[in-house]
Amino acid sequence: MKTRFLGLPLLAALLGAGCSGPKTTYVDPGSSRLVTTTEGINIQDFSQAADTMVNSLIDQLVNPGALRSGAPNQPALLAISRIQNNTGQQLETDLLVRKIRVALLRTGKVQTSTTIAFGGPEDPLAAEELANNQFFNDRPTRRPDYTLSGKIIEDRTRAGNVRQSAYIFQLALTDVREGVAVWEDEKTIVKQGSRPTVGF
Amino acid sequence: MNPAFSRLAGSLAAAAWLTTGCGSTSVNTLEPAEPTAQRAMVSDQRVLADRSLASSVRVVGVNTATDAAGFLKVQLETYNPSRKRKLFTYRVEWFDAQGMVINLPTATSIPMSLEARETKFITATAPTPQAKDFRFRFLEPVN
Repeated sequence: MKTRFLGLPLLAALLGAGCSGPKTTYVDPGSSRLVTTTEGINIQDFSQAADTMVNSLIDQLVNPGALRSGAPNQPALLAISRIQNNTGQQLETDLLVRKIRVALLRTGKVQTSTTIAFGGPEDPLAAEELANNQFFNDRPTRRPDYTLSGKIIEDRTRAGNVRQSAYIFQLALTDVREGVAVWEDEKTIVKQGSRPTVGF
Repeated sequence: MNPAFSRLAGSLAAAAWLTTGCGSTSVNTLEPAEPTAQRAMVSDQRVLADRSLASSVRVVGVNTATDAAGFLKVQLETYNPSRKRKLFTYRVEWFDAQGMVINLPTATSIPMSLEARETKFITATAPTPQAKDFRFRFLEPVN
């Protein structure tokens, strides 16, 4: 009888210990345990948008073999143009673009230039070395075959207690030889919540 | 049984049924009786740890296709047979010919919802031509 009474608090303590987790913990960035808010673009929103864009690029250009390269037997060369932030927040657009670049590089069909980009070279030292190499060895510069440009747009609305935030990611790939967009896509992410913070 | 009690129980049951009906919408669908496209269906292996999720998000079929450049495409047909809208997330993992997982910065859990009796397709394209196998993971919303 005594052991039964002792067992109950022990069980409760064990259950309590099991339920109370640490205050700070590491979370897998690809999991569904990330904090989601209606007040801004969360890191998982960039991942979702990049995933959609990469799938679309592979489906429409890479997989059908529609990508053209200026250099024989070389992957197509991509340069990053302007990614316009039309939201009310300060955004690091590389959170979107870099993921797309990495995924495209892994396809083996696309490479990105770090010496030619909108607003100046991403790698100034490489650009300088390339210029020196061209000057001393009289080698022609490889120009980009495609440029990637885009826009991020925000739309917020509220009805009663329900807040809704929509973020529209628009990207276009332009063939620089013709100045024509050969691929375009749009991904809209909509979040609703009764408070600024919602989970999903 | 007391007739007054049975009337009260009946009213309560009807009210509960009506309340449930108000919060959900069911989807009506239409498609050709004899579709032109022929899907290459694949047999699948399932591990159902969350029975509740599996009963609301049923995978009706899986088909694959490979295009000229060798990128594998997968399409899942999902169906919600319940009378409630269901929120869930899914994540795709890709494996090469040796069974090694292919990691990508774009790999993430994608949120999705199915209205009552709704059918939706989930499509995924392999990140590289080396990806030969796949695994879909379904999860209830955590937060």
